[in-house]
Amino acid sequence: MKKGFYAKMAFSNIRKNYRFFIPHILTGAGLLGSFYIILTLAMDGRLHEIKGGDYIPTFMVMGVAIIGLLSIILLFYTNSFLMKQRKREFGLYNILGMEKSHIGKVLFFESLFSNGCAIILGLAFGILFYKLCSLAVCRLLGTELIVGFYFITLKTILPAGLAFLVLDLIIYFINQISIGRMKPVDLLKSTKVGEKEPKVKWPLLILGILTLGGGYYISLTTESPLKALLLFFVAIILVIIGTYFLLTAGSIWVLKGLKKNKKYYYNKKHMPAVSGLLYRMKQNAVGMASIAILATGVLVMLSTTLSLYTRAENILASNYPDDCYITNQYGVFENGYENDQDYTFYELPVEYTEETITQVAKKHNLSVTEFAAQDYLEVAYVMEGNELSVDTQHLNIADNLAGLANILFITEEDYVKTGGEPLHLEKDEVEICPFNITDKYPYQSITIHGKKYQIKAVGDRFPIKTPMVSVVNVYGMVVADEDVLNDIYEAQKLEYGTYASNYSHRIVASFDNHLRLFDVGEDFTKDLRASFEQYIQEHHSEAVEYSTPAIDSVWDARTSIYGMYGTLLFLGILLGLVCLFATVLIIYYKQISEGYEDRDRFQIMEKVGMSKAEVKTTIRKQTLMVFFIPLIVAGVHMIFAIPLLTKLLKVLLLSNPWTFVMYAAICFVAFAVIYVVIYTLTARTYYKIVHNED
Amino acid sequence: MSILEVNSVKKTYTTRFGGNKVEALKGVSFSVEAGEYVAIMGESGSGKTTLLNILAALDTATSGQIFLGGKNLAEIKENELASFRRDNLGFVFQEFNLLDTFSVKDNILLPMVLSGKTVAEMEERILPLSLALGIHGILDKFPYEISGGQKQRVAAARALINQPQLLLADEPTGALDSKSSDELLRIFKSINQDGQTILMVTHSVKAASHAGRVLFIRDGVVFHQIYRGNSTDEQLYQKISDTLTMLLTGGDE
Repeated sequence: MKKGFYAKMAFSNIRKNYRFFIPHILTGAGLLGSFYIILTLAMDGRLHEIKGGDYIPTFMVMGVAIIGLLSIILLFYTNSFLMKQRKREFGLYNILGMEKSHIGKVLFFESLFSNGCAIILGLAFGILFYKLCSLAVCRLLGTELIVGFYFITLKTILPAGLAFLVLDLIIYFINQISIGRMKPVDLLKSTKVGEKEPKVKWPLLILGILTLGGGYYISLTTESPLKALLLFFVAIILVIIGTYFLLTAGSIWVLKGLKKNKKYYYNKKHMPAVSGLLYRMKQNAVGMASIAILATGVLVMLSTTLSLYTRAENILASNYPDDCYITNQYGVFENGYENDQDYTFYELPVEYTEETITQVAKKHNLSVTEFAAQDYLEVAYVMEGNELSVDTQHLNIADNLAGLANILFITEEDYVKTGGEPLHLEKDEVEICPFNITDKYPYQSITIHGKKYQIKAVGDRFPIKTPMVSVVNVYGMVVADEDVLNDIYEAQKLEYGTYASNYSHRIVASFDNHLRLFDVGEDFTKDLRASFEQYIQEHHSEAVEYSTPAIDSVWDARTSIYGMYGTLLFLGILLGLVCLFATVLIIYYKQISEGYEDRDRFQIMEKVGMSKAEVKTTIRKQTLMVFFIPLIVAGVHMIFAIPLLTKLLKVLLLSNPWTFVMYAAICFVAFAVIYVVIYTLTARTYYKIVHNED
Repeated sequence: MSILEVNSVKKTYTTRFGGNKVEALKGVSFSVEAGEYVAIMGESGSGKTTLLNILAALDTATSGQIFLGGKNLAEIKENELASFRRDNLGFVFQEFNLLDTFSVKDNILLPMVLSGKTVAEMEERILPLSLALGIHGILDKFPYEISGGQKQRVAAARALINQPQLLLADEPTGALDSKSSDELLRIFKSINQDGQTILMVTHSVKAASHAGRVLFIRDGVVFHQIYRGNSTDEQLYQKISDTLTMLLTGGDE
């Protein structure tokens, strides 16, 4: 045969079947592009050096894995549609005298052209949009944009391109094998195989209810945020399985029920739609479940990352009522660092620390507005009812986290010193101030280490703030005097041994110019640390190792919060877009492949006496159900996910659940709008195919 | 009383790019009386399928009129056509055209469902019909589970369920083996004897020989017709064969 014949034939096949090939090529290109962008973000060293950029590699690697997985699933999916359609044509070639090896050659060229196109387009798209994406990441992290920011390297082009090439090759070989195995008659008939009417699979239905119920149950009942983190993935998997099972078995069950109801079924508005749906329900249900899950994924990713990012300032403000916290203590290892206990604790003189802070602030053109020295004891307890005890065996188990409580003890003297009203506490009396607990403390007394204290008052103002919203419950407690505090200190030291808490001496400082503070913050921390080191070296020339006072500041927290939330938001948006794209793709392929299958059916119905308007209504009914059930399912999933996700967000420091609920609602509405647009567009293509208008 | 009147119906097709005009029907006239069983014969390309499509209101004539039960097809509005077709015409196709998504029963009931009949009426009607056509035992099966002969009987049941004025059959035996063909023709004859008017387009001399009258179409005109009179099926078969031979050898009327 003439040279180039197969290539030409492959090319014209692609053109003829553009409805199947173009989405296939675009899928490959889109996925490769996103894959390339995330991979490059993960490897672009210059990005990791920007403020807060240290989160980028870890999160991006996660994103690479997710996009990789999605690519495998989606490419196989589009290929299965493509091949189902192509097999008929190949069967015809076979009957007309082409050998399977010739068909193989055509398939080779088709794959070469379409996949080559996808890879080139994908890389071009990725390289083109990388700059935009890296700028977006900088923006989200709140950093100045770096001018001339362009990054192209074979280090990422090659692996990304190769990964997709390998994937395409695997799919290509699978296609070759499946064509080699088929008989020409099968090839001709392959899209015409009648599906048997599905039966209701009770075990699947029950399993679906159980798994979905289990997922929802986890979300509704998990109290502790840390446990929520652990169970989150279990819940996701349960809900995914449940969605598939329930939609497959449940939809058939419902449709069969409708069919059994003769009055309902034998009505021209219902009969064609119900039987049409039932006929293809197995396929439909899988598609519906996939769409529902992808939609839920989009919603979860976008609403969580958006609520974190947009609430970043509030999170900072509520966690850092003051700008800077310095643990005014340092440890010195006099004989080398061998054992944790080999150090001695020293305290910096409060005046020295305050003086140093003032000087460093002056150097950076800042002035201190407020200083406070805070002395307190922080102890972790197991809280059961109104009893606080030390149970070292249960301390690390996430199950009991809900029952864990951190208590900050201060003396009344310190309390009054920081502006509190005198309480006149007796030795067996305390004031309790719940930090992050909305419920009122319900008891009249509290037992600590077996000793009972009367609750004299429940306060809402406590001078000491913990810098981070804790996932465990935190209470402040004011005790009568130094002696009572010491009793508690000794009691917990006895039980915890080497893990016992020490008295904390903290210096708290606030500054006047926050804008400037965030600008110079990094250097501020460095200078402060250098001054402390100098002091320690001067006073402990014999020290082998030492630890410096911990500096916990709003500016460092700001950098890391924006680093983390910004990176997460970027990933959320990108993955959300990929999932949305996948949803569109599934809808599109469903519509066109079903359009071709349904064409004959509707033609027969028209011959038997169905009007064009009736055909349209039937189609609308059928497609509406198939397309809007996933949206409803996604909405229900979201509603049930809210309790679990708000707890999860608490681990990530977002304590206000309404922010998340609001963003979830906004994302859902936005998604629904996009979904309706997609539906309308693809439904139009479907009508065209059914009415043979192409 | 004539149920169907066809008056000098012409149909001209224009080829896709507007160039050549093809006259499929050049002025066909005939009428069918109530209770008649008419076969229309003709070679491929003689225009018989075009005629059938026009009679079925699936296509419109370029000129001429068709009256079905006294009603001019051309005057029926577009949105009433489907229901008119459903209530007055029954169709049997060569390729059965059953819907895979429906059970046999639902396939038969489809026209009644589309006409908005009650379930009670449906049950009442399907029982005697399915018994008469010998498909009562397979009502709950699906089309892909039954034989070709059974499929065509199901299609016949679907065509008859709305008690149409006219049953139109397009090569009903075309896809059947001889045994199934005989079976179907026997059924057609018996429903005709019960008063059903049938118009059948066919190639098959055997099928045509069951009819009461045979029209021959050639080159877009009714060329000849034979009445059964008192002939048996075999005699009619012979007459039809002779006519066809004459047609083939090119004799003029």
